[in-house]
Amino acid sequence: MQPSNLPTIYSITESEIDLNDLLARITLTSTGAAAIFTGMVRGVTSRGDAHETEYLEYESYIPMAESKMKQVADEIRAKWPVVEGIAIVQRIGKLYPKTPTVLIACTAAHRDTGVFDAARYGIDRLKEIVPVWKKEVGPDGQEWVEGDYVPKPGE
Amino acid sequence: MNHIKLLFFATIRDRAGTKSMEMDIPADMTILQLKGKLGADYPNLKESMKSVLITINREYAFDEAVVPLNAEIALFPPVSGG
Repeated sequence: MQPSNLPTIYSITESEIDLNDLLARITLTSTGAAAIFTGMVRGVTSRGDAHETEYLEYESYIPMAESKMKQVADEIRAKWPVVEGIAIVQRIGKLYPKTPTVLIACTAAHRDTGVFDAARYGIDRLKEIVPVWKKEVGPDGQEWVEGDYVPKPGE
Repeated sequence: MNHIKLLFFATIRDRAGTKSMEMDIPADMTILQLKGKLGADYPNLKESMKSVLITINREYAFDEAVVPLNAEIALFPPVSGG
């Protein structure tokens, strides 16, 4: 099947992330494996600067974010041509501990095709180039979380 | 002159005190010159201009780029999604 016919979902949403729906939409009759990464709001952080989080408030430059998510999906397909379906979803708004905030899922015929690496690459790239930011609110006040990646020309 | 739209996000929006503004700039102004102008016109933004990320029409842009006509320029800190 040509990549253009393969299911690719990318969106910024204020709604709950529906894993079952997304998985159904990226599962083909030839699919036998899906690697799914999801991140959620961590209420208690113990690694590094230990602290508690009341909620995170996400915002996005939505049209650019969706175009960069498509770029991440294109990069995944270039590196892992065996990947069948791709879903990349970032939830924004005010999100409380335990709530899923992001989901990257890749499907393939078999699990030993690189599909785990493909999903890993997807979340790593999202955190580098997709314009989304979060403000962390906790008992000691609020602070914008800033990344450290500086995109290069062509990214 | 070139009439452009500026969008601010996250820390940059807080410091600018607005989500967006429109501005007239010289036709051949580069991103580096635009950063200089914003830092001079809005002292709250001066410090941010050193590490800000800038996009032109939703693609990352760099100091030497000339701002195209009627561009949508966004300014924001390194991203922190996920």
